Amino acid sequence: MNISLKNISFSYSDSLDDAILKNLNLEIRSGECVVLAGESGCGKTTISKLINGLIPHYHSGTMDGDVLLGDKNTADMTLAEISRVVGSVFQNPRSQFFNIDTDCELAFGCENLGMDPEEIKRRMANVVQEFHLEHLLGRSIFNLSGGEKQKIACASVSATGPEIFVLDEPSANLDLKTIADLKEIVSRWKKAGKTVVIVEHRLYYLRDVADRICYVKDGQIAYEWTPAELEAKGAEYAASLGLRCMNLDQLGDEDMMCHSRLDRESPSSTESITFTNLTFCYHRKHPILDIDRLELPCGQITALVGHNGAGKSTLAQVLCGLQGNWHQKRAARKRGAYLIMQDVNHQLFTESVLDEVLLGMKQQDEKLALEILEGLNLKQYADNHPMALSGGQKQRVAIGSGISSGCDVVVFDEPTSGLDYRQMLAVSATLKKLAASGKTLLVITHDPEFILNSCQSVVRMEYGKVVEQYPLLGNQEKLIEAMLNV
Amino acid sequence: MIFTAPLVYSLLMVVVASILLLFEGKWKFVCTFFFVYLSAGFFFGQVKNLDIGTSGTIILASLFLMYRIMPACAVLYYVITTTKVNEFLACMSRMHISNKVTIPLIVMIRFFPTVFDESRAIGNAMRMRGIRLFSLRTLKNPVSFLEYRLVPLLVSITKIGDELSIAAVTRGLSTDTKRTCVAKIGFRWADAVVWAYCIAVVLFYVIPGLTGNLPSL
Amino acid sequence: MAVTRKTGKKSSNTLVRDLVNVGIFGALYLVLSGLGASIGFIPMFIVVSTCAVSLVTSVPLFLFFSKVERPLLCCELLCMLFGVVMVFSGHGISYGLLCVLYGVLAGLCLKLFHKNFVGCLLANVMISFVPSSMMIPLWSSTEEYLAYCSSVCDSAYIAHLAELSSSYWPLIGLFGFGAAGAVVGGFIARRVMKKHFERIGLAK
Repeated sequence: MNISLKNISFSYSDSLDDAILKNLNLEIRSGECVVLAGESGCGKTTISKLINGLIPHYHSGTMDGDVLLGDKNTADMTLAEISRVVGSVFQNPRSQFFNIDTDCELAFGCENLGMDPEEIKRRMANVVQEFHLEHLLGRSIFNLSGGEKQKIACASVSATGPEIFVLDEPSANLDLKTIADLKEIVSRWKKAGKTVVIVEHRLYYLRDVADRICYVKDGQIAYEWTPAELEAKGAEYAASLGLRCMNLDQLGDEDMMCHSRLDRESPSSTESITFTNLTFCYHRKHPILDIDRLELPCGQITALVGHNGAGKSTLAQVLCGLQGNWHQKRAARKRGAYLIMQDVNHQLFTESVLDEVLLGMKQQDEKLALEILEGLNLKQYADNHPMALSGGQKQRVAIGSGISSGCDVVVFDEPTSGLDYRQMLAVSATLKKLAASGKTLLVITHDPEFILNSCQSVVRMEYGKVVEQYPLLGNQEKLIEAMLNV
Repeated sequence: MIFTAPLVYSLLMVVVASILLLFEGKWKFVCTFFFVYLSAGFFFGQVKNLDIGTSGTIILASLFLMYRIMPACAVLYYVITTTKVNEFLACMSRMHISNKVTIPLIVMIRFFPTVFDESRAIGNAMRMRGIRLFSLRTLKNPVSFLEYRLVPLLVSITKIGDELSIAAVTRGLSTDTKRTCVAKIGFRWADAVVWAYCIAVVLFYVIPGLTGNLPSL
Repeated sequence: MAVTRKTGKKSSNTLVRDLVNVGIFGALYLVLSGLGASIGFIPMFIVVSTCAVSLVTSVPLFLFFSKVERPLLCCELLCMLFGVVMVFSGHGISYGLLCVLYGVLAGLCLKLFHKNFVGCLLANVMISFVPSSMMIPLWSSTEEYLAYCSSVCDSAYIAHLAELSSSYWPLIGLFGFGAAGAVVGGFIARRVMKKHFERIGLAK
């Protein structure tokens, strides 16, 4: 089914003066796989909402222009009718599912459309076989990992048999292996002749699947390339547009590392912090964490990698004293470790950024707080509400409150998931500055570009144990291979 | 009515709940529940004649309130853990209860674990910052403690709620269309047996209990 | 020729958004009122427990009022759901019906005052009557309740309860404390809304 956006202008407010999309035109042929790329805030998610009907039926705003699916205008269809034709998969696995167990979730979409029960059972069986989900049947969704939840979401949407699939940053919270599974799913849809529109930052996994990459800028489609064309233009060109790399193998090249080569070649010191007694389990027979001792180099950024479920988040929580037995918590309190959570909203409490930094201080010192904010480029936001800031700014506020509580070890849980290239570099710069001031940093991440840009050493975990630990210099290819094959 | 039910009546209802749970395979729960219930009943029977003072009465009263709800909790546990969302929705729509009532109900059921998860994460973050319930800072300013606990929770919940309703709406959930269900819904002989049992208990115990003619046992 | 038009008008799609909000805030209301009511396990504080409940639940309720597009339906549903859960855990059907009544009244307050502060305050007070009404059986069927308790508790507690139920003042106190908590909670909630939610952009 063809998709056609004609002269679209849209704004989330009451007038078109601050329109996020300005006179946009886009034609997508039936069976094509199109990737919408661009920096954050450029409007690519808004385009995806135009296709799946959320605009004009759900979000309030002002709109000009027409969206045609096939030959029908979305404004003339109801959302239920549009959902028969367009299936949507979103970014956050935890807020996509409506049921408690997987079987019900797979049948949910079909049941909503009023299909015959026998037909629903047939489609469920089909989709389970196609997507290899036999091991996930009959389980509670709350016990699944992020990647498994995302697979169930894709399968559930696929079961209703839509002609068009719209995916909004589906790989944001997934590890590299699950992203490969996601690529399988997308190629299967393409083979079946469906039209797929994907809004993405991470382009490398769509290299062989996408037909076209559209770059959205200032509310317009600024450029269009095929994946081969974009790759041929080189990594520097992509980076200048704020796009992530097209080819993971390129990351191993020394040319890419010109920014951080200097930092890498001269580690600041050879001291290290040792953590002991890091074993932790929920049930006696099944230890989640089984680490005797862990050494982290002081004043450096260490990456913690491993597949989903290896115990990385648990390690972070035990290190910071949020989980574990009494001894572990006391040791954590003594060493002063702070965790910057994946969802920073859980850590922001007060009504102004300045108060947020003052909250953690034992002695309230406003001058020191303002200094910390200046070091993080946040001084001009001192009176703003923390939750009204952008994602990257919120992260820096959380870092500021960590600094003010006087911690020596800072642990980051996926700081760059869902960020474009420029934002990732900004996070990288902040972390490097933090490490230079003497703190020891441990970063849990699935982002190879980020690791190669900022980290100096790597710890790899598997099934609760530390499997490998090595300095990054000279071992880049080993790292990427491990992340892809794990 | 439940206020005058004697121990035997409650035991009979517990038996029903336990049988239903056993059918679902929840052996451990049934055994623990029976053990706790019987020992609590025994304990209260022994203790009521002792004089334990005001503080003892307070503790005893609280424990007794929980004891009174236990059979109902067992049945609630059965309902919650073994009812699937789509069966529930289909059942409701068969009884001609509109989608407007059932959609909030399933969202509520699905959302309880999320509320606790978010609350726990926020509690962790607060502990890391040194904001504890019984610290000096909280005692100086109790309203702020409530603020720190509630505001991030509400922001987080609102965000999840928005994402959830977008996901639901793009998957065709609406109050206009009639939903179908994969599972078969209907009143079958097992249901009839349970109904008959419950009605019998009511007839034999509850009604005489109301009028004061409890059967001797 | 395309014409500039407004999107996201009130329709059955936005109804789903309201219903999901009812479910979410209903779950939160249940959890918070359970926490607040746990003070009532201490007999001394039974009368004050309703105050604690309405204080704690004011902030989420004010956010709920500002978010829903159809106040009458949503308040009715919120209270109906609370009533359904309570009926399932042992209270009488009459309690469920009372809950629906309070919900309808709260929704009417919101609608009549177009969701301004007075309207929200009155709606908050109406909803505070929901947990207050849970203790009505102590007065309406006193002998049964006391006879039930006497089979287990000692005479001191029974005397305390009998004292409470001897007059209607504690009952009025229950409702009064609940309403007072709702009013105070309403002012706190307005401050929190101004301080936080309006600046974040969550509430209008």
